[in-house]
Amino acid sequence: MQSEHADLLAGYRARMSSAASQEVLRSIEREAFDKGGTIAGMLAKVPSLEPSERAGAGRAANELKRALEADFAAARERLAQAALERERSGGDFDATLPAPKARRGSLHPLTQVQRELEDLFTSMGYEVLDGPEIELERNNFDALNIAKDHPARDAMDTFWVKTPPGQERLVLRTHTSPVQVRAMAHLKPPFRAIAPGKVFRQETTDASHEHTFHQMEGLVVGEGISVGNLIGTMQTLLQGIFGRAIEVRLRPGYFPFVEPGFELDARCPFCKQGCSVCKRSTWIELLPCGLVHPRVLEAGGIDIERYSGFAFGLGLSRLVMMRHGIEDVRHLLAGDLRFLEQF
Amino acid sequence: MKISYRWLARHIDLSGLSAEQVAADLTLSTCEVESVERFAPCLSDVTVGHVLTREKHPDADKLSVCSVDIGQGAPLQIVCGAPNVRAGLKVAVATVGTSLAPDFKIKKSKIRGVESCGMICSERELGLGEDHEGIWELDGAAALGQPVAAALDLADFVIEIDNKSLTHRPDLWGHRGFARELSAIYQRPLKPLDTSLPPAGALAPFPVRIESKACARFMALCLEGAANGKSPLWLRTLLLAVGQRPIDVLVDVSNFVMLDLAQPNHLFDRRRLSSEGIVVRDARAGERLTTLDGIERKLEPADLLICAGPKPIGLAGVMGGEETKVASDTTALVLEVASFHAATIRRTASRLALRTDASARFEKTLANRDLPEAAAGHLVRTLQSIQPAVRLSAPVTDQRNEQALVAATAELSILLRPERVRKLLGVALDDAAISAILKRLGLAVSPADKPGWVQVKIPCERATKDLTEEQDLVEEVGRIHRFGNIPTRALLETIRPPQLGARRAIVRKLEDRLALAAGFHQTISYSFLADSLRAKLGIEGLPHSEVVNPVAEGLSAMRRSVVPSLLGLLESNRRHGQDVRLFEVGKGYLPYAPQEAGISPTSSAEPKEVHELGLVWARPPKAKQRFDEGVLAELHAVVADLLPALGRADLVWGPARTGELPAFAHPVRALVGRADKAPDARAVAVLAELEPSVRRALGLVGDLDSEVAFAALSIDDLQHAVAALATRYHPVSSFPGIKVDVALALPSAVPAADALAAIERAAKGLARGIELFDVYSGPNIAAGHRSLAFHVVLEDSSKTLEDKDRHKFLERLAKEAQGLGGELRAES
Repeated sequence: MQSEHADLLAGYRARMSSAASQEVLRSIEREAFDKGGTIAGMLAKVPSLEPSERAGAGRAANELKRALEADFAAARERLAQAALERERSGGDFDATLPAPKARRGSLHPLTQVQRELEDLFTSMGYEVLDGPEIELERNNFDALNIAKDHPARDAMDTFWVKTPPGQERLVLRTHTSPVQVRAMAHLKPPFRAIAPGKVFRQETTDASHEHTFHQMEGLVVGEGISVGNLIGTMQTLLQGIFGRAIEVRLRPGYFPFVEPGFELDARCPFCKQGCSVCKRSTWIELLPCGLVHPRVLEAGGIDIERYSGFAFGLGLSRLVMMRHGIEDVRHLLAGDLRFLEQF
Repeated sequence: MKISYRWLARHIDLSGLSAEQVAADLTLSTCEVESVERFAPCLSDVTVGHVLTREKHPDADKLSVCSVDIGQGAPLQIVCGAPNVRAGLKVAVATVGTSLAPDFKIKKSKIRGVESCGMICSERELGLGEDHEGIWELDGAAALGQPVAAALDLADFVIEIDNKSLTHRPDLWGHRGFARELSAIYQRPLKPLDTSLPPAGALAPFPVRIESKACARFMALCLEGAANGKSPLWLRTLLLAVGQRPIDVLVDVSNFVMLDLAQPNHLFDRRRLSSEGIVVRDARAGERLTTLDGIERKLEPADLLICAGPKPIGLAGVMGGEETKVASDTTALVLEVASFHAATIRRTASRLALRTDASARFEKTLANRDLPEAAAGHLVRTLQSIQPAVRLSAPVTDQRNEQALVAATAELSILLRPERVRKLLGVALDDAAISAILKRLGLAVSPADKPGWVQVKIPCERATKDLTEEQDLVEEVGRIHRFGNIPTRALLETIRPPQLGARRAIVRKLEDRLALAAGFHQTISYSFLADSLRAKLGIEGLPHSEVVNPVAEGLSAMRRSVVPSLLGLLESNRRHGQDVRLFEVGKGYLPYAPQEAGISPTSSAEPKEVHELGLVWARPPKAKQRFDEGVLAELHAVVADLLPALGRADLVWGPARTGELPAFAHPVRALVGRADKAPDARAVAVLAELEPSVRRALGLVGDLDSEVAFAALSIDDLQHAVAALATRYHPVSSFPGIKVDVALALPSAVPAADALAAIERAAKGLARGIELFDVYSGPNIAAGHRSLAFHVVLEDSSKTLEDKDRHKFLERLAKEAQGLGGELRAES
């Protein structure tokens, strides 16, 4: 009996140690302990034994059961440790395999910059306005103090829209400034507004000229608005765009709808000694601006004795090109995925 | 426009001020300077030499061997090919090592066996015009051994000004105007300029008649005793510096005066004019004139002509005529100094694409008082300084037109409140400082009757356009004070929190959803639509807004919708990539129609602009494994997710009605989404595959064979829909629901929508979710039938559903299926 048990135990131990998985181990364990299994078979035989043998046989079966249980537990633990070790070994992982491509789309870089600016200005109390791209000649020029035959019209090569005879002439807006006219018609001073959007110029395209591009107009009207306010606001704007304080320079610039009119240059944020962005001058021409011309305020129905205001323009396309180092403006609207995917 | 530093120095003392300094100060106070460059830089690199001897070259007839003293060391031996080289001449010598151009460095060389240690230069080689007939013969007084630029006082810098920044400043279109600016900036006086006319001879004045309102003034001066020829060096070099080619002394002096005082003028050869004199009149339709550049121009009544009697001899303010121009043998002249209507000149010049120095100045509105007489006097005095024999042979004719479109320029007075200057600029300048600045600019300031105001007198040359009202003077003070000296101030006002606007908020969410979740790339396209693309899409017949002057032939139409722009991008993008997913948020432009009022219209004539979201998806075709694969179904999944992403229920999708699909949409494989179930609800979204012939026309065949779907959503309608559609929230039931999978075998013609409705009815309001998970036809399904399998979740917010509820539902559904001509095929 003793040797029979020892053989059984040895047989199980051999099978346990060669079991490759918890599942195999589990099936061996069931063989030992389930109904009709080895241990149950032994215990079932006990009643049929001589009474004198019964107690010993029962004890021996239970001893075998305990021994097996302990061995199975050890085997399970061994397999669990082996599994952990296997997993830790990491298989044939190669850290230099290129990353699989994740599917993602993109927002156009103009959208990204425009949103940043909208958020920046909204945080400073500006409303975001929109205006038509096919605009009345009156709003694009006349109401902005650019009369017919004004030489300033030459600087803005204009697309003229076919208009039925007798109708007011229409243009593709050459700047976002006509939104000023519409803003003044709809908003009561004091107000602050920006108007980002598409503008058009009838000109031959090359790497730095495009017949369709994006601008953002800004307009502030209130009591006691001065050039000092304009400079302060532009500094805040540039700080928002470039994430740090930027030195600015204000010099005269001529735009018929402002008086005085300026070009605001920013100290080139990309270099110290001059680079291709600033054409080696360390200044970049960024923001045409000025106090709103009294004629323009009047055309907007605003009392020029009580209110004054300033307006500014920002080239969104230009800002995008500067930010990303884009060398050719025509990439922006070409719709080439090889370009768009990069943003 | 180019201005010359040396030229400016004729009008104002610039000692101690470099050209760069002048440019920097003009930038900060006056206008935009584009560049500063040294004029003819070679002049500083070549040396004044003295030709000591000249021998014939032993082996070449046309070459000379010269010994040239350059003031240092031994004389140089130089071989020269010019016919005019001779002993005794002062010449410009480029020594060994001098570069006359980036790729032209003088080397010691042997020319036909004779050593040559340098080059004797012609004017052309030094950048002084076209003269290459021989070497440049320098003034005998030129200091030996000095750089030529210094010896002849030719050192100069060219300051290039951006013309756009001078649009409002007619006075700055001549050097004297710039000198006046510098005088204000540096507080240095202008040098006097003699513009008085010399005594006139006794001949009869030249007859002039003005017959057009576009001419306000016409002065004619008869000059005699001129001898045409090459201009003196000082004049040629000044003209060359500002990019003007010297022609001959008469033309050069005329140009010089224009570039000096901004007043264009014209010299006629007296012999070519008729005795009837000059008539200034509007052109007649069909009249022709050959201008100085040799081109015959067809004229229109809007053009203004200078005529000799009946015969046109010049296009007023733009260009003279070929026939009456001065010649080499001209001695008697008629000088025209006139004032023309700016817009008339501008229209003619731009119609004929003939922008000249003269027209550029006239179109800025030059003063018609003080300036013409000054220019006339300046021209006569300048010519006399070169040719003392020139004389004024008759009294000056000075016709003034009282009926002219532009009245005679008067000195203007503007009332100014110094307080207004302080308020608008935001500076603390006192009244005296403000007056001082204005005086530096040549404006006279005197007290006004009203307290707090002063009177400012504006001279003629500034009064035509630039300085006409109070705020213009604010700018004058600001720019001379320097805008950079104005202290920065914060905007102090209560901020009313602005709304970003409903449309922007929606658009941002849609963009994010498409770009970040659905893997679409956003593009922004041109608003123009090529005729060729319109034809391919079959929409060439639709009315489009059009521009009159497109950038290219066939590119005049403005798109009505965003989708055609996107479709135009498919072929090129498919060439570079397999899976093309693009979207655009942009405008469509509907041509004006009476029933379509514009957005925030200020006129009924405005075209309507619509905001749209367009999507396209193209990829190589692949076999469908499941009913919900394929580009149309997958795009549908993307689009159907958009409204839920906005927190709203999806649109109601169904077949399109007649007229709802664009011509390029597949006639059957298309659907539309509406904001509600009402039978007349407008389509907010259109979703379709491409019309098969359009797909071929777009080149998406062969290697680029693609399955293509597109969607167009009206953002304007979507904005209304978002407001109208219910939010998606359902209370979370505390009673568990039951899941039932059902399959309905129905005739294929029965739309899925009917099956869905049947399930809704059978569920009696308890259907919490119905999801189609399979569409099947084949073995076990009757011919002409298909099986639609759904996951259905039944849920009651007031009680736990039991098995009997499920049985009742299935019983009702079986009846519904029979009603649709099919059966409830499976359940689980």
